[in-house]
Amino acid sequence: MSRLEVEHLYKIFGRRPETAVRWLEEGADRAELRDSGTTAAVIDATFDVREGEIFVVMGLSGSGKSTLLRTLNGLLEPTSGRVLFDGHDLTALGPRELRRVRSHGISMVFQHFALFPHRSVLENAAYGLEVQGVDRAERERRATEALELTGLAGWEKSWPDELSGGMQQRVGLARALATDADLLLMDESFSALDPLIRRDMQDQLLELQKRLKKTIVFITHDLNEAMRLGDRIAVMRDGRIVQIGTAEEILLRPANDYVASFVQDVDRSRVLTAGAVMEKCAGDADSSGRSVTMDTPIADLCALSADSDEPIAVRSDEGKLKGLIPQQTLLAALAGEVTHA
Amino acid sequence: MPRLPLGDWVDSGVTYLRDHCAWLFDLITTVVSGMYDGLDAVLRAPEPLLLAGIFAVLALWLRGLTAGILTFAGFALIDSVQQWTAAMDTLSLVLVATVITIVLAVPLGIWSARNRTVGAVLRPVLDFMQTMPAFVYLIPGIFFFGVGQVPGIIATIVFAMPPGVRMTELGIRQVDGELVEAAEAFGTSPRNTLLRVQLPLALPTIMAGINQVIMLALSMVVISGMVGGGGLGSSVFTAISQVNVGLGFEGGISVVILAMYLDRVTGSLGSRVSPLGRRALAAANSLRGARVWTYRPHTAVAMVGVVVLAVVAGGMNVFGPSSTGTAVAAGKNVGHGRTVNLGYIPWDEGTASTYLWKEILEQRGFAPKVTQYDVGALYTGMSTGKVDFETDAWLPTTQKSYWETYKSRLDDYGSWYDRTSLELTVPSYVKGIDSLADLKGKSKEFGGRIIGIEPGAGMMKMLNDTVLKKYGLDGEYQVTTGSTASMLAQLDRSIKAKQPVVVTLWSPHWAYSKYSLKKLKDPLGAWGQGDGVHSLARKGFASDEPQVAKWLKDFKLDEKQLTSLEAAIQDAGQNHEQDGVRAWLKTQPGLVDKLAPIAA
Repeated sequence: MSRLEVEHLYKIFGRRPETAVRWLEEGADRAELRDSGTTAAVIDATFDVREGEIFVVMGLSGSGKSTLLRTLNGLLEPTSGRVLFDGHDLTALGPRELRRVRSHGISMVFQHFALFPHRSVLENAAYGLEVQGVDRAERERRATEALELTGLAGWEKSWPDELSGGMQQRVGLARALATDADLLLMDESFSALDPLIRRDMQDQLLELQKRLKKTIVFITHDLNEAMRLGDRIAVMRDGRIVQIGTAEEILLRPANDYVASFVQDVDRSRVLTAGAVMEKCAGDADSSGRSVTMDTPIADLCALSADSDEPIAVRSDEGKLKGLIPQQTLLAALAGEVTHA
Repeated sequence: MPRLPLGDWVDSGVTYLRDHCAWLFDLITTVVSGMYDGLDAVLRAPEPLLLAGIFAVLALWLRGLTAGILTFAGFALIDSVQQWTAAMDTLSLVLVATVITIVLAVPLGIWSARNRTVGAVLRPVLDFMQTMPAFVYLIPGIFFFGVGQVPGIIATIVFAMPPGVRMTELGIRQVDGELVEAAEAFGTSPRNTLLRVQLPLALPTIMAGINQVIMLALSMVVISGMVGGGGLGSSVFTAISQVNVGLGFEGGISVVILAMYLDRVTGSLGSRVSPLGRRALAAANSLRGARVWTYRPHTAVAMVGVVVLAVVAGGMNVFGPSSTGTAVAAGKNVGHGRTVNLGYIPWDEGTASTYLWKEILEQRGFAPKVTQYDVGALYTGMSTGKVDFETDAWLPTTQKSYWETYKSRLDDYGSWYDRTSLELTVPSYVKGIDSLADLKGKSKEFGGRIIGIEPGAGMMKMLNDTVLKKYGLDGEYQVTTGSTASMLAQLDRSIKAKQPVVVTLWSPHWAYSKYSLKKLKDPLGAWGQGDGVHSLARKGFASDEPQVAKWLKDFKLDEKQLTSLEAAIQDAGQNHEQDGVRAWLKTQPGLVDKLAPIAA
């Protein structure tokens, strides 16, 4: 079931945005508009985000992904199109109702953390609850819980500038979680962190997501991050969404040359799974041999494959044989030559 | 280029406003002067040293022991040089002007930070306010608000507002856009975004702006002393017009002490009220540990100290002796406490006659209020009814231009001292020059200069237009303009160095008793007949206070009386003019009854 649906969404900056939308619908392209002093940041975006999934929007800077994110909670008003949150059209709401949705239903995590420097860690985490009007004792209790979830127990009385970047972003995450909003918008939230910390944070987000089952829209320009986190990924280029799919789908069947060249540098062995590269076969082959599950990354198969010349069996969670991976197939997959599956 | 009559347009605009928006200006005047009077009464009420103690406790709370001690010493110094009352007047002016400025500037700053159009419109207006020389609107201010504290406060507000607006705008614009977005993303209303995020984070910058506002207000308030603003400005203004270097320094150092106190206190207040500043403060304290010199009492402790001192101060006022006034003899109470406003220019005969009338009116049961003005301000003040009368108008010659402008609104009660004279004067050691005619061909000796006074003085106009031409000196001598004070300073300097100098001077003047001088004869009568010193009153004063008007019309002093009165006032010293008058009256038995007879 989708929590969030976006239909034919446009966001145009500059003069006469409505005219620009008409031109775009008639097939004008972005460069022509730019000449007339109008910037089309998001063009005809349509997608839906399902309950409990991490939906990643991936694109280079200037591709319109941050603008798209800000139309999802009404920080920016779309020029045309609709944003449906739990079936309600956000674009039709007045400022007051929109603020209510933001404080209760959608929360946001920022690239540079955006912690309030004049508030303690606890007060920062409790900010959203304060806006909701929750009384002090209750909001401090819930903010403390949120801080515990993100691994910051004991830091409540500190100030944001006393924390490292990773810890600051944990406060940002705790602030977003404390409101109990179901939809989390994360705007390049880990981009400002150094690589090791970024990896930690990604792991922790996945860990939290297993427990909390939030619906998350995650913006990033880092394809590896997108592949790691995203249940589904939307690739954006020049304001348009060029492909939506799972990591494997994008890797294995790029929609165009742009996406293909983009995914070239991805560590395929961590994205592709045994299920995606196996030679399908049914039946009851040797059940005593080495076997892996469908979602095992192929990086984990290499060691097994090196031990013996026998193909590796791929089994479903119930132990049913689904396919085989001979050495050649594995090597071909690593070399980027997988086309079936 | 054709002459653009910009000045005329402004002139008629000002007249139009004065005639058609009087109710508005009256309202502003009432509000502002009400604020000033209230605050001034509070600040003047306690014993100076107790109030100095309160100020010291505030400094101790905000900055520590050193600041507390220095504050007390500074204010004690102000008291001991007898500038306390003036300093409290100035402090009231500054505080009232600052409060009004902040009330206007902070919302304007917020508005222009949120709306680019407003910001763009406001910027040139602020530039105009800040750079337009203050005198240009100080004098028209008198048309609208009358002389006294109000035009001074208004001019101060105009002058001090720009940094308040600019720093508020800057502070709010400086707040990280992502923080504002974060607040919005969590559903904060625009009002709460301003109150909870933007203002707290902009506060250090806004406080720096307020600090600037206070400093500018203080500098402007001193200037407003020239239009009857009172306070230290008047002390300084008096001192420079009498070339009294010592008094000038006493007034000046009091201004400096006030300025430093206000600057440091508001500077620290910034770090006390802003959440970020409080944090930095706490961190610094925990690092340094508790030491005596950096000890700062907690807010509660400091407030208790202030309250205790304030209660003691209040108690002393209740139980202490009430201030001693002039006793009103039985049967001579004509005034029944009615207020009469006297204005004067700080020239010796003006001070003497004004304080003489102040004493006489007090003895007759009036409540006279004496305020010091610049000449132009005094005439304007009378024409708008803010000043009831003055006793130092040099007519018909010297102040002719003022009289011509304002005569429809004034009454001339006749001269009480006859006859003054205007002249060029040289030190008596300058040999061979006894008359104006002797100056011809001697310009080398005097460096080609005649030391003049204020460019607007009637005497300067006569000198340039008539006197120099009649004696054929106009090509030969340059008349320097400056002020009476600078003329007297130059005279003093030349006499010390025994150099020849020729200055514009008039009689009566104390310079003739201080130095040995020679008035240059005027065989052609170019200076005219000389003036009488007249009493002028606003139109309508004679019907409001017929008795006082009658006394003034009959007022006469001879030269001996005037000079001895001036000497007595000189002996009594600055701020004790009335004591001098009382001492002098003791030597003139029956004079009060003669000058102010009670109708039987």
